[in-house]
Formats: sequence, C-alpha cells, structure tokens
Amino acid sequence: MLDMATKVDPMTDSRTPKMAAKDVNVFYGDNHAVKGISLDLYRDEVTSLIGPSGCGKSTFLRCLNRMNDTVATCRVEGNITLDGDDIYDPKIDVVQLRARVGMVFQKPNPFPKSIYDNIAYGPRIHGLARERTDLDEIVAVSLEKAGLWNEVKDRLDSPGTALSGGQQQRLCIARAIAVNPEVILMDEPCSALDPIATAKVEALIDELKGRYAIIIVTHSMQQAARISQKTAFFHMGDLVEHGDTTQIFTSPKQERTRDYITGRFG
Amino acid sequence: MSNTKEFKPTDWGSPEMQARTRRRYRRDRNFKAMGVSAVLLAALFLFLLIGKIARDGAMGFLQTSIDIDVTFSEEILGDPRAMSAEAFEDHVRQANMIRLLDEALTTEFPEVTSRRDRRSLIRMISGGAREQLRTMVLETPAIVGSTRTVRLLAADDIDQLRKGKIDAAEEEANRKVKDKELAWYRKLDEEGRVSLNFHTRFFTSGDSRDPELAGIWGATMGSALTLVVTLFIAFPVGVLTAIYLEEFAPQNRLTDIIEININNLAAVPSIVFGLLGLAVFLGVMHLPRSAPVVGGLTLALMTLPTIIISARASIKAVPPSIRDAARGLGASPMQVVFHHVVPLAMPGILTGTIIGMAQALGETAPLLMIGMVAFIVDIPGGFTDAATALPVQIFLWADSPERAFVEKTSAAILVLLTFLIAMNGLAIWLRQKFERQW
Amino acid sequence: MTSAAIFLTLILLAIIAFVTVRQRSLSAVSGDTSKLHSLPRHYGYYAAVCALIPGLLIFIVWLVFGKNIIEGLVISGLPEGLHSQYMEQATLVLNRIRLAVENPVSGEKHPDILAAAQHFHSLYVKGIWATFALALSSALAGLLFANFKTSPDFRARNSFERVLTVLLILSSVIAIITTLGIVASLLFESLRFFQEVSVVDFVFGLHWSPQTALRSDQVAAAGAFGAVPLFAGTLLISFLAMMVAGPIGLLSAVYLTQYSSSRTRKIAKPLLEVLAGVPTVVYGFFAALTVAPLFRDFGDLIGVEIASESALAAGFVMGIMIIPFVSSLSDDAITAVPKSLKDGSLALGATRSETIVSVILPAALPGIVGAFLLAISRAVGETMIVVMAAGMQPNLTANPFEAVTTVTVQIVALLTGDQEFDSAKTLSAFALGLALFLSTMVLNIFALRIVRKYREVYD
Repeated sequence: MLDMATKVDPMTDSRTPKMAAKDVNVFYGDNHAVKGISLDLYRDEVTSLIGPSGCGKSTFLRCLNRMNDTVATCRVEGNITLDGDDIYDPKIDVVQLRARVGMVFQKPNPFPKSIYDNIAYGPRIHGLARERTDLDEIVAVSLEKAGLWNEVKDRLDSPGTALSGGQQQRLCIARAIAVNPEVILMDEPCSALDPIATAKVEALIDELKGRYAIIIVTHSMQQAARISQKTAFFHMGDLVEHGDTTQIFTSPKQERTRDYITGRFG
Repeated sequence: MSNTKEFKPTDWGSPEMQARTRRRYRRDRNFKAMGVSAVLLAALFLFLLIGKIARDGAMGFLQTSIDIDVTFSEEILGDPRAMSAEAFEDHVRQANMIRLLDEALTTEFPEVTSRRDRRSLIRMISGGAREQLRTMVLETPAIVGSTRTVRLLAADDIDQLRKGKIDAAEEEANRKVKDKELAWYRKLDEEGRVSLNFHTRFFTSGDSRDPELAGIWGATMGSALTLVVTLFIAFPVGVLTAIYLEEFAPQNRLTDIIEININNLAAVPSIVFGLLGLAVFLGVMHLPRSAPVVGGLTLALMTLPTIIISARASIKAVPPSIRDAARGLGASPMQVVFHHVVPLAMPGILTGTIIGMAQALGETAPLLMIGMVAFIVDIPGGFTDAATALPVQIFLWADSPERAFVEKTSAAILVLLTFLIAMNGLAIWLRQKFERQW
Repeated sequence: MTSAAIFLTLILLAIIAFVTVRQRSLSAVSGDTSKLHSLPRHYGYYAAVCALIPGLLIFIVWLVFGKNIIEGLVISGLPEGLHSQYMEQATLVLNRIRLAVENPVSGEKHPDILAAAQHFHSLYVKGIWATFALALSSALAGLLFANFKTSPDFRARNSFERVLTVLLILSSVIAIITTLGIVASLLFESLRFFQEVSVVDFVFGLHWSPQTALRSDQVAAAGAFGAVPLFAGTLLISFLAMMVAGPIGLLSAVYLTQYSSSRTRKIAKPLLEVLAGVPTVVYGFFAALTVAPLFRDFGDLIGVEIASESALAAGFVMGIMIIPFVSSLSDDAITAVPKSLKDGSLALGATRSETIVSVILPAALPGIVGAFLLAISRAVGETMIVVMAAGMQPNLTANPFEAVTTVTVQIVALLTGDQEFDSAKTLSAFALGLALFLSTMVLNIFALRIVRKYREVYD
C-alpha cells in the first residue's frame, strides 16, 4: 500500500526545490500563527503537512499561493520562492502565481455554473485557449486527468453543483488542472467526503504525482502515509520535524512527533 | 488515464501573456474605480442636498427689521387717561394702525408726498407691523403720546434685498424692489435702521401668507399630536402582534398569511394608506377632516409593519434559556413573556418604534389624502382640530410663489431634519447602551 | 355628553372594578392569599376586563356606525319634495345638513334642511345617551359578573390570560384587517368608477382628462379616463430612477463588500442609509428647486430643450432616493454568497473584478433581481418627488426631457383641494390607487419570493 519509492529522474531538476520557504512567519493581527518555518518542496513529490488542528499547517499552505492576501489582518514575513523567484516580491504577479500554484479546498466549491464552464473558467480568464476547439480539448483533458470524464462527458451542460460530493471535489481538481499549474495545494481535500469518494481522490492524487508538485494538508495520518513521499509535522505554529514519510512514521526523531503519531495528543 | 495528452507548459513570461495580464489588472483597477466613484457620487448627492438646504435655510432663521420712530398719537389711538380701560382697548382695536405707520414714515421721508409712493413706502414694512404696534399700545397704554423707536419687521422683498437675494444691479423691470424703494431702503440703511436679527417668530407662530410672518409652530404641534396618536395605536398593537407571532402563534395557515401580509404591508406605497384613511376614517367613520387623529390613525397603520418586524427580531434574540428558566419556576406562558421576554427585548422594540416614528414624522403623501394640507393659521390644540404637519407645511411653502418662502422652506426642512436626526440618534444610543451579547 | 366622557367613564368603571374585586377576593379568604387560586390582582384584572370590554365594544360600534345610521334616518325622513328633488344628490343635501349641524349660524336658509339638521341633532343626542346608558349598564353587569365569580377556587389568572390571548390574536389580525380595508375601500370605490367608465377604456385608453367631466353641458361630458399616459409616465420616471440608482447602488454594494477596508465600510454604509432617512418631501423640494432648473439651464447650454418639470429631473432625484435600497439589499445578496466560491475563483488566478463579474454577481443574481424589483416598486409608489417636480399634464412620451405625469401625481391632484364625492373624477383616483396597489403588491410578492428561495439555496 505504501509507495515509498522516490524515483529520482536525473533529467528533471528534481534535486532543486520547486518551492522553498525560508523562515516564514505569519501573523493574524497579534496572533503569531506560523513561526519561522523553512521547508523545501520538490517537483515530483507529494508532501503532506500534518498536525493537530490550529497548528498553522493550513495557514502555511495558503501562504504558498498568497491566498492569505485576501485576509486584511494577515501579515507574512520571510521568504518563499517558486523556481527561485520570491513570490512576495512586489514585481511578482499574484494572478500568474495563483495560476501556477493551484489550490483545492476543504469543501468542494464548484461555481454555480455548468460543468463545462467550471473547467473553462480558468483557461478563459488566462487566455489559454485561442479557439473554441482548444477550450473543448482543455476541458476534456482536464476532466480525463481528474478521472471524471467518463462520468460527466454526456452532461457537460448540467450544473457542477448537481454532482455528488466526491465528483464535485474531483471537478475542483480538474478545474485547478485546467490552468496548467506547476504546483497543486490541497487543503484537507477529503475531509468532507465519504470513504469511497476519498479513495477515488487519493487514487487521483497518486496519478497526478510526478506531473505536479503536490502539497496536501491532512488531518489523517493514514492518508499522509498512503499518498505522500515527504511529510512535515506542524505543532503550535512550529515545524517540528520533516523528512521522508517512512522515516517520520517509523522512526521519528522528535518526541512531539512520536507522541502525535502514536495518538497521545491531537 | 496515463495516455492522456499533456498540456504544453504555459509561457507566462511571453510578451503576449504579459500584456494580457497588464490588461486584466487595468480592468480590475477600472472596476474598482467605478465602485469608488459610485460611493463618492452617492455621498456627493447627499452633501449637495444637505448643503444646498442648509445654505438656504440658515438665512430663514434670520429676518430683516427696520427701526422706525413711531409717534403714538392720541388722535389715532385715543387717550387712555380720558376713558375707561375697556373703552380704550376697544378704541385701539378699531384704530387705524396704518395711519400711525404712515405718519411715522412721512416724518422719516418728508419728500415722499404722492399717495401712491406713500403706499409703496408702507408696503416696505411687513403687514404684521399693525398687530405689533397694537400689542405694544395695549400692553403699555402709557406709551400713547410719546415717540418711540420701534423695531418693525420688514416686508419679504426688503428682507430678500437685505440678504442679497435681490440683485440691485438687475434691470428695474425684472426686479421686485423698484428704484424708488431701493433709494428709500438705502437711506434707512445708511441711518443704521436696517438690521438682520434672529427670527424667533418663525418658531412660535402658525402659517401665514406672508413669509416674514409665517412660522412652524402650528405644523410642529400638528405633527406632535399626530405622532401621539400614531404611537398610542401602533406601539401596543405592534408589540402585541410581535409577541403573538413569536411566542404563541401555532404553525398554521393563518399565521403564514399574517406573516406574508405584514411583509407586504411594509412595502405598500404610503399614498395607498392615505386612500384607505380617506375611504374608511373619513368616508365611513366620518371622523373630522384635516384632524391629527385621522392622520395619526393612518400613519399608525403605515408604521405598524416596521414596529412588528423589529419587535419580532428583538423578541427572537432573547435566548430560549431565559424562557426555560422562568418556566422552570412555574411561570405561566403569559408570565414568561410579560415578566421576562418583553422586558429584555424592550430596548430593541423601542429602537424599532423610534425608527418607525421617525418614518411617520417624515411622511407627507398620506396626510395629503386626508386633508391635512389646508392653510391653517391657528395652532391646533387638540386631536380633532384642523391641523397640518411639518412635512406638509414644507410641501405647502415649497409651492408658494414668494421668493422668501424658499428660505423658510429650507429652514423648516432643517428643523424637520433636526428632529429626525435626534430620533435616530436616540435609537442608535438605545441600541448601543442596551446591546446585549447573549 | 361627549364621546370622550363615555370613554373616561368606562375607564373609571374598570378601575373601580379592579379595586373592589381585588378587595373582595382578599376578604373572601380574610387576607390569607395562599388560599386563593390566583393572586388578588389577577381577580382585579379579570374584573377590570369584564367591565371594560363589553362597554368598549358598544362604544366603538357607536363611534364607527353611529353617525352613518343617523344620517340614513335623517335622509329617509326628509320631506317628499326635497327627497325626490335631490335624490341623486343625496350627499349634497347631507353636506348641507352637516354644515348646518356643525355651524348653526352658517346661513342655511332652506327650512327643510334646517329641520333635518334639528332632527339630526336630536337623534344624535338620543344616540349618544343611549350609547352611554348601554355601555354603562353592560360595564356594570360585567363588574357584577366578575364579583359574583370571585371565590378562592376561581382560576382568575387563567381566565385573565385567556382574555389576553384573545387580545394578542386580535392585534395580529389588525394587519390582515388593514390589508382587507385597503383592498375593500379601493375595490368598492373603483367598482363605482367602473360603472361609469369601462375597465377597457381605463386600462387601454390613451387620453386622460378627468377635468372635462365637470362640465355637463359639453360634448366631452364623460371626461376621458384612459390611464395609459399615466402608466407610461410612471414607468418612464421609474426607469430613469433605476438608471441612476441601479448602477450606483449595485456598484457601491460591490465596492463596499469586495474592495473597501472595513473602516471605509463602517463610514460609508451609514452615510448611504442617511439618504434613505431623508423625507421624500425634501427630495421633492430639491428636485423642483435645484435639479430641475439646473437640467433646464444645461439643456439651454447644449441646445436641447428640457422642460422645467422634466421627467429627467424627477427621475434623477428619485434615483438618488432609491440608491440606499438597491445598495443595502444588493449588499445582503452579495454577502450571502459563500466565501468558498470567491476563494475558488481567486485561487485559479482570477482578478477581483473577474471574480466579481463571473462568479459572485451571477451567484447573487436572484438576490440582486429581488433588490431591483423592490426598488422599482418603491419608485412606482413614490409620491412627493413627482408631485413636486413632475408635471400635471398627461403626456404619452418616452422623451425624458419632456414633462410627464404619474399615477401618484394624479391621485394627489384628484383628491386634494375641493372635491365632490361620487363624481367619476374623484372615484378615478381610487381606480388609480387600485392599479398602484396591485402592481406594487405583485412586484413585492415576486421579489420576496425570489429573495427567499435564494436564501434557502445558501443557508
């Protein structure tokens, strides 16, 4: 069940991090939510962020595509790079950043539009398709990649909100894929889904691995163990420990990590 | 799935894509600018409206007076020492005060001799001067025989001239104040006889055809009487309805109908309530026309939905735990409501009621329908006297042709707005003082 | 004897009932209240209610119907000559009688009328004394009844609370009675109007000139009651108002919910609400005195003829008045859109304006449509602005620079000043009122339904 093998392809730049955080601090007003976190994220890996609720893992995730910008009281310090460029540099364009770093949310949030328009929305605003046929292809390919094509190809015009919860979440993943991102952030993508839907989404994440750098926040240690190659454990805003998933779950170096994965708190 | 086609990597750095992104940002900025200008435009309208009225209205509180040396001649007024007090009073009441004024002005302007000119001269003084002189004599009969400098109200045109609303440079034919009068006015002004004073009469008298004599006290009293009736009907009925719907009403069709009904009534145009008042209160019940009691009844029906809706909201905000606690002590449902829920909800209910009353105070159209739009000089003293109301007075004055009524109208609006601000301020204060976090 | 005296007597009796019965309940158990089923004051309340209600009912019946009944009696008792001579003008005679009653030195010369006035007066005096006697005796009966029932076992509180419940229900029924009253009075007078003027002529007629109805000797004696020019004028002004309030209100709501800092929002929102608190008569004054001349002068400047009572000026100022309705209702609709949708769009790299235009506004559309409908209904029913700033002359035009008249303006014009009841001219105002009531009610019900449905989707 555990796919621990981290394949190193010498042809890709897999040893330079796709995204790197250095000494990142996040404040909500006076509340110091994320404390001095440094973490490298690689292109061909799935990285899990685990930890008890309120530990800052979601907050950290939302720094990676600057979704925290929408919160007025939020202040981010430190340095986060994408392919070596600081994403908080004023010259960096947040619209392009978010296209390159896609995001999937805890609760499926399809737009109240047709399935087709849900997927086509991103490519349309970014101008990724010159013609209607291009757009049709992007929609089809995205849905195929998200494993949803066979289920919805006959009803692309029906509203996205009419799908089941698991389908909605895969629609949201397809929607993120459609703008051709390099990184996909997932904020507890399965927490609102039943076990069968969860299994499908996990299988999908496994499929997508290697094509996108995937960072997933999860409260389920089993899920982290199943799908990720790297795991980072957060506690009270600190990054306690990070490393290969097998190592974290079999021989954690820190006592807090051990206590957490053995279920002593959390 | 593994054989699906891969996308080409997006070249974000291409000039084409860069230009596109710039364009998108520009559109976003434009959109934001549109939003800002919408808010600013709304604020600008508000400031223009209030500013214009405040500027005109400020002058309405001032009035021009002319100091005239009046000789209270025995010949015209009679000798108080030579006759009984009653006989003197009778004599003064019938005395021709215009002659008194005429003589005083002749002394001031000996060069004016023709009858027509002297009449124009008298017309520079307000028609109210006669009453003012008469009152003076009746109050102190000893004044007869002496010469006093009396401060008399100027006529409205002279007042407008003093306030700069009439342009002396304008061609005579287009000017309300003719050249001759202008010369007389200048002479009086040079002698320091013309003055601009705070106009207390504006607050103490009823309506008049003459702007300088017209006041808002009659309309204010009419509004007050009307609101008293409104309050005494709308408040109890509104609160009892809210209590019933929130605390006792069963979930059935009738309750549904009542609720939908209240929501719809809240949006019925006010003039329709006026038609109801006309047809029912005047047509069927034969209540007196133009009376505050009818106005009050009509406005009560109109404000009822506002009070019910806000009272329901504040009753709903009282947590169920309070009801449970009271019920646990053996209180009957009525006692739970009247001893516990209603007192706790009272600040909210009062806030809603004050806002409803403010609405009623500003309402005009329904009052037009029930005849509270007549020209009424007397101050109403009771609920069945003919009366008008502040907003209706504003409407009437706004319709008057005299220029001087413009500033009177604006001044009356300022008074009305002051009342409304005070009421809304009270409501906000109440809400903040008693706001409770459960 | 006056109505007020009857009322005060009843109140006094209620107080007496309260005091005596409370005392009696106490003395029945010789002061030991624990033996009573209810508190002494509940016995008192019960007695007060028993005394007050029957008397009050009789009193109200007298107030509402007394004069009508007496007038009927007086009219039917008129001498034959007068009766037939004025049969079709019964109200005219009635008015003269009323005048003679209210003002004995009014100069009424007609002996029959004077006699009728005498008759009226004596009937009135008899009626009010009868009411007094009836009300008083029923109140006393109520008092005695309560006194008789007072015993330690009597459940006074429960009985009193039953009366209170009935009072609560009656209060809530007043809202329904009001609606019924509106419908009945509008319908009743309108039906009388439609006996003289056909519904088709009213609803589809293109010519409105109710004035001609007065001159019975003229060719156009019937007057013309085609209301289409009024409907058109109302729609034109409402349309202009929405052209101002729609964009400004909606964009303000978008800015205040999506762009502005919470501090700006805290200042700007109440500022917009102030616009809603300004009485409409003030807007009317502003429109007639400031805006209309401004538009006219501006028209002169650019060579367009703008009437001094142009639809544009009235519509523009009405638009200002309606801005806060549109903005606060749209604000509600926009804030009801779940934040997850906005986040979803932003996370795809959409700009804020793209998010607003393609995700938030479509999602809020039903609420916004409801807001606009409510605002339109407000504009259609608004009276003072148009009375003061729009024209009186019916004018079937879509040109905003011309003067038009509206339904509400005509209602006011027809019903203020001297009027005769029963003339088609006066009655037509009620037909217009009915049209106004029905159209605004349909708009409101429709809007409320849309808004409610929409809330259910996101709640």
